[in-house]
Amino acid sequence: MLSQADNAFLTQAGKGTPTGELLRRFWMPALLSDELPERDGPQKKIRIMGEDLLAFRQTDGRVGIVEPHCPHRGANLYYGRNEACGLRCSFHGWKFDLDGNCVDLPTSPPESAYKDTIKLLAYPTREWGDMIWVYMGPRELMPELPQLEMALVPAASRFVTKKWQDCNWVQSLEGAIDTSHFSFLHKVLATDEDAARKAMANAALGDQSKPDDRVRWVQNDPRPRFQVLSHETGLVIGGGRKTDSRDLYWRIAQFLMPNHAYTPAAFPGEIYYGQSWVPVDDVNCWIYSYCWQPERPFSNSERAKYRGGFNVHSEVDADYKPLRNRDNDYLRDRNVQLKENFTGITGVSEQDAAIQDSQGPIQDRTKEHLGPTDIGIVEFRKLMMGTARRLGAGEAPHQPGLASRYAVRSGGWLAAPEKDLAAVMTERFGHDRGYIGNQYGLGD
Amino acid sequence: MLSQTDNALLTLSGPGTPMGDLLRRFWMPALLSEELSERDGPPKKIKILGEELLAFRQTDGRVGIVEQHCPHRGANLYFGRNEECGIRCAFHGWKFDIDGNCVDLPTSPPESSYKDTIKLLAYPVREWADMIWVYMGPREHMPELPQLELGLVPAGHRYVSKKRQDCNWVQSLEGAIDTAHFSFLHAIPTKDEAVKLDILRKTSAIGQESGLADRMRWVTDDPRPKFRIQSHDAGLVIAAGRKTDSTDLYWRIAQYLAPNHALVPVAFPGEVYHGQTWVPVDDTTCWVYTYSWVPDRPLTNAERAKYATGLSLHAEIGEDYVPKRNIGNDYMIDRELQKTLSFTGISGVSDQDAAIQDSQGPIQDRTREHLGPTDVGIVEFRKLVMAAARALQKGDAPRAAAKAQSYAVRAGGWIAAPEKDLATVMTERFGHPHGYVGHEHGLAE
Repeated sequence: MLSQADNAFLTQAGKGTPTGELLRRFWMPALLSDELPERDGPQKKIRIMGEDLLAFRQTDGRVGIVEPHCPHRGANLYYGRNEACGLRCSFHGWKFDLDGNCVDLPTSPPESAYKDTIKLLAYPTREWGDMIWVYMGPRELMPELPQLEMALVPAASRFVTKKWQDCNWVQSLEGAIDTSHFSFLHKVLATDEDAARKAMANAALGDQSKPDDRVRWVQNDPRPRFQVLSHETGLVIGGGRKTDSRDLYWRIAQFLMPNHAYTPAAFPGEIYYGQSWVPVDDVNCWIYSYCWQPERPFSNSERAKYRGGFNVHSEVDADYKPLRNRDNDYLRDRNVQLKENFTGITGVSEQDAAIQDSQGPIQDRTKEHLGPTDIGIVEFRKLMMGTARRLGAGEAPHQPGLASRYAVRSGGWLAAPEKDLAAVMTERFGHDRGYIGNQYGLGD
Repeated sequence: MLSQTDNALLTLSGPGTPMGDLLRRFWMPALLSEELSERDGPPKKIKILGEELLAFRQTDGRVGIVEQHCPHRGANLYFGRNEECGIRCAFHGWKFDIDGNCVDLPTSPPESSYKDTIKLLAYPVREWADMIWVYMGPREHMPELPQLELGLVPAGHRYVSKKRQDCNWVQSLEGAIDTAHFSFLHAIPTKDEAVKLDILRKTSAIGQESGLADRMRWVTDDPRPKFRIQSHDAGLVIAAGRKTDSTDLYWRIAQYLAPNHALVPVAFPGEVYHGQTWVPVDDTTCWVYTYSWVPDRPLTNAERAKYATGLSLHAEIGEDYVPKRNIGNDYMIDRELQKTLSFTGISGVSDQDAAIQDSQGPIQDRTREHLGPTDVGIVEFRKLVMAAARALQKGDAPRAAAKAQSYAVRAGGWIAAPEKDLATVMTERFGHPHGYVGHEHGLAE
């Protein structure tokens, strides 16, 4: 439970808010690279953390992200011309490069220095992991890009999508690091083998797509024992469930500051999934969803499966809005809910979205009642709010300076019950916090 | 650049605001005459300067513009009956004439004088130049209608339309008196002269007849016109001189007429004149009344048909006078066209203007702008209108309201030797240093 003041503190990301200022110290995905496929192609309006911006891919292939209004008379550069390495306003031809410099000001005489005094707000951008990233914080404190493993593997070994969500980003992220909800929200009710297999085809519990032991363990133990370990860039959040032997089935998620989370499913050789949340404003967010395979490229059929909605990947329309969304009640089917799955909603991603949106545009955390399976969420909030408070007091977050320490994995493992989470991590990943950057030359 | 306070002063026009008070000292177009085509026809809800009003054409053909709510219990007279020279409330039958008098109050005894104490707010109305005008200011200060030339020529010589725009009225008007933007916003970026000329004829942003290609070239080639401004009784002459192929200057001369009219700088003698009048619906929406006229001949049916489907400042409109290309559909911008034949990729001069003006924001934030030498017309406009609004707050009535005849002016284009000052150019082109033509229509010299 949070006070109203703390809830606002945690959830508001506009410019000048404490959490907004914290988020601005990190690189944020702004677009998929796909969204600006063409050099000199149409510029795109975007909104991040309440700021309306314009993104364009210029003649040399680089991407600019700038404020939309021309400094001259405030016309929107969206209607301007993306040409010859710059964006030219349609109103009077003022032209800007992607650093915001005014490179042509045709309404003043050529000898005038007025041009040099005119600046368009422009944020640094990078293209990485099939995404266009933007840094909206103080320029002198710009960090390296977080070395997420999905971007370290060859492009063919990853798949990246995005989806719109109709709620505050924090409750959506909290849904992802709360791995206890798998015993319910994503539960498959069908007992008939074929029906269960069909329902399981979209399930989030592993890649085998069959009602295997792991599914049963998750369904049969709704009270996993949580252990949380902190590390340099975030938290390891492990939930251990009973199995058929005395071993525990561990499902271990990662939270990476300030807005990334990895799912706890993968056993060695399986596919890794992660998500990054980017506030559009305080009541909408983009979720960048990705999966990767460190050892091999994805097949075309795997890509097609993800595109059609699978695991964290949603089935989306041309504007990346999920086909099953709040406006159509996620196409919930009461008959399906009675017989086949716990919610009557098709798709793990859509089940998550439905339940997270349903918490309200911004969840009112003054009314919640947390319990022992919610300690991952509690630790996440402590970390975020503590870091934001310290930043407000002048102490910069240390995570942006530790980009290579984002190279971690999450996943599942079976281990004897007396082993603590650090020991389980070391068994599973070769490192007590799941660090695998050494496999990519990032140091031990 | 304006302070936030000044930007609010300039742009807000609701009841009690300084600019709202100023605008209320002038007649405003409220509707096109065609919107109330029928006597005793359906009343129409309108909104002007933030005020919700009801317009109806009564039995004798005269138009009333009144508040919407019946003084009895507040029912909306929109649901009432427009009958026998009055509007009758559908709730309890109270009836009002166009002056707001209660002419029947059937819920009180016939002998009661209660009726005489009941008044509906009603504004004076005039019908002129195919428009219905309303005066919303203090009754004792009601001026004459501004003698715009479009209202002085025979009805057959003019064409009037309207279009809705999704931004504050001031930035839209500023776009019209800023004639520097023609070098960009309406440019046709092709080297193929025949193609260019064909598009020019179809869109007519520059002029209609001979010399078209030259004028377009001069406008495109000189993005830094030299501006000259002259004030007169009704407003400002805003002139921009561009280089030509000789030493002469090509002058494009607009008129701003206080508080909310502007005439376009295109017409050479014998060509068609165009103008616009902005009426705030509220602070983030306005109506733009758009008109064209020829002093010396009727417009042809072919010309009217062209205007009706969108030409020059006339937008191609759909239902309720909303342009077909509008903020809701991104003005149907075509990015391929933008790379080839159109600077914006948006079809229609009017739609190009609307897109860029709307894009400045619902109310342009003028604390962030950076004006330059080609924006002096805008600067002078703001000085004039803001000073008039401030003076009115101190009790000085706007001078222009009392100078109805001084609105009979023209705007247009001319080619003149560079040493000639603007007054000389105006006299050459219009026979008068301020473009006054009232005497041609029986007004004073």
